[in-house]
Amino acid sequence: MLGRDGWAGLVCLAGSLGLLALTRGLPQPALVPIGPGFYPRLVLGSTALLSALLVLADLLARRRAGRPRRGEAPGPAPRPLIPPGWPLVLTTFGLFAAYVLLLPGLGYRLGTFLFVGALEAALEPRGGRRWLLIVVVAAATALVTHMVFETYLSVLLPRGRWTAF
Amino acid sequence: MLELLGAGILNVLQAKYLLSLVIGTLAGVVGGALPGVTITMTIILILPFTFGLDPLQGLAAMTGVYVGGSAGGLITACLIGIPGTPSAIATTFDGFPMAQKWQPGRALWLGVWASVCGGLLGGVFLIAATGPLAAFALQFGPWEFFSLFLFALAMVAGLTEASLLKGLISGAIGLMATIIGADPIMGVPRLTLGSEFLQGGFQFLPILIGVFAFAQIMTDIEKMGGPGPAREVARVAPSLSVSHLKVIAEILGRPFLLLWSTVIGILIGVLPAIGGSAANIMAYDQAKKLSRHPERFGTGTPEGIIASEASNNANVGGSLVTIMAFGIPGDAVTAVMLGAMIIHGIQPGPLFVSQEPRLAYGIFAAYLLAHPIMVLLVGAGARLFLRIVTVPKPVLIPVVLVFCVIGAYALNNIIENVYVLLLFGVLGYAMVKLGFPLAPLILGVVLGDQIEVNLVRAIMTDANPWLFLTRPISGTLIGLSVASVVFAVWQHHRAQARLAEAAEPDVDF
Repeated sequence: MLGRDGWAGLVCLAGSLGLLALTRGLPQPALVPIGPGFYPRLVLGSTALLSALLVLADLLARRRAGRPRRGEAPGPAPRPLIPPGWPLVLTTFGLFAAYVLLLPGLGYRLGTFLFVGALEAALEPRGGRRWLLIVVVAAATALVTHMVFETYLSVLLPRGRWTAF
Repeated sequence: MLELLGAGILNVLQAKYLLSLVIGTLAGVVGGALPGVTITMTIILILPFTFGLDPLQGLAAMTGVYVGGSAGGLITACLIGIPGTPSAIATTFDGFPMAQKWQPGRALWLGVWASVCGGLLGGVFLIAATGPLAAFALQFGPWEFFSLFLFALAMVAGLTEASLLKGLISGAIGLMATIIGADPIMGVPRLTLGSEFLQGGFQFLPILIGVFAFAQIMTDIEKMGGPGPAREVARVAPSLSVSHLKVIAEILGRPFLLLWSTVIGILIGVLPAIGGSAANIMAYDQAKKLSRHPERFGTGTPEGIIASEASNNANVGGSLVTIMAFGIPGDAVTAVMLGAMIIHGIQPGPLFVSQEPRLAYGIFAAYLLAHPIMVLLVGAGARLFLRIVTVPKPVLIPVVLVFCVIGAYALNNIIENVYVLLLFGVLGYAMVKLGFPLAPLILGVVLGDQIEVNLVRAIMTDANPWLFLTRPISGTLIGLSVASVVFAVWQHHRAQARLAEAAEPDVDF
């Protein structure tokens, strides 16, 4: 049975081998000693090798852990993969993904206002007078950054396809 | 050299450059003081503001952030016992106990003035050493550059706290991100899956922002609900005013400590991979070992503050030497600095100082001027900065994420860069959760293109692969790379052996 490192190594191994397979279609020029596939193959091959070693190291470590010998070091307790605050982490990722995906449609100002407000509310859902602060911070973030970047720094922020705002 | 430096200082003293420098230093001090917001993060957040500026304005701001951030971390380290940045960890050991003895002003200003002394001595080294080192680097061909970049990657991967294998895989993932897109020889699209956006390859800024911002912010979110600094500020009731002459005399009265800590900071800065946090702790450790009263360390002794703060600011000077002379970043902060330079159209390396003297000496001048500016800012606003650091995380985090989006989007004004930010944000967080270090990944992303270009150039020039080993500088660098990997393996085994000894059960005979 694999541990955390073993699974991570397997994912890296699969990813690098998958990409390595994609390099097979790259052309090999006749006039130069190396073609466009040379360096990617070197990098991906090395990654695959290192990942396989990580899987192997994990398997060996787990086998050793299964047969404790006198005086052998107890391995460090693995950190929990799923963090204690995972619902908030998941919510943040979800809200951020929604923000990023809806940004071209909603536009920067509306999208940012909604994202900042929603994330603030999610991170500190106490209700009451906090709502006023949430709305003020969300509106200020959207408007001040828009003004600073568009007016003073000549950075054009996305306009909404659906809102034209 | 002095003429060029004088011209550089006069140049940076012009209002438009000085304003950038002041704002950058202010942002650095505040960002450095905010626990959980590192210097890297502050540079990332400030970077989009510099896109529309001329290169020297942008780089003055970045230099200010770097210098200000290195000193900013000491404000919270001394006054509330929480290091604002990893490079202020050792400052906490004596700074906070001194503040608790009702001497917060002395603790703070010993740190600030030690930072100035260390930083300025680091600046002297930066100005004096960059030219000769760049001249030395001019002897480098593609073999040497390839080996140098490999050495930097091997050092970073080997010196991480996680396993060597994970460090190397992290670096390899960084390199993988750079092989997507058109190849540098024939422009053939590689691994683009038919995407037009991917033909240009990933821009490294959205990757940097995604990896760092999410790894840090999500880790903060995990811990949310824990005790924040707000309650602790109340402890710092006494005045922060102090006799500056007395404090400076206290520092200059320990010239050996100051110089030795500065040398440690500079050397660690010059070496790739180690960074300000190691400089800070190593200088503290050395000061303790060389002290006649090591037992006083940790109780609020000035030596502890002077050593740690002089070294972490001197480290900035050393890191800038490596970037400007060789074009390689020393750690994550300098990787972002290097990225910032490239975004402003500057390719640091051996030719940079000779071809762009105005910019190079402008950076030196900005570095020197950032120190007095930092002193003025801390003097004017230390208490205010303490209030800023109490801004609740639920308010701060969404705003920081919005800045990340702007930073990624404003690079080319395309939304795909924001998708890259999200993708690498998820990847960075997953890597942290799986125990992979992020610094090798960043270095891989930053150096990947250069590694490929130099490898290809070397092979195109002469297909004999032994040249990488037989050319003296290249061979030495490859040898050092192997040595750093072997050293990391040896260190790992030694740590395991110590753990085994510690676990040895007591046996009754």
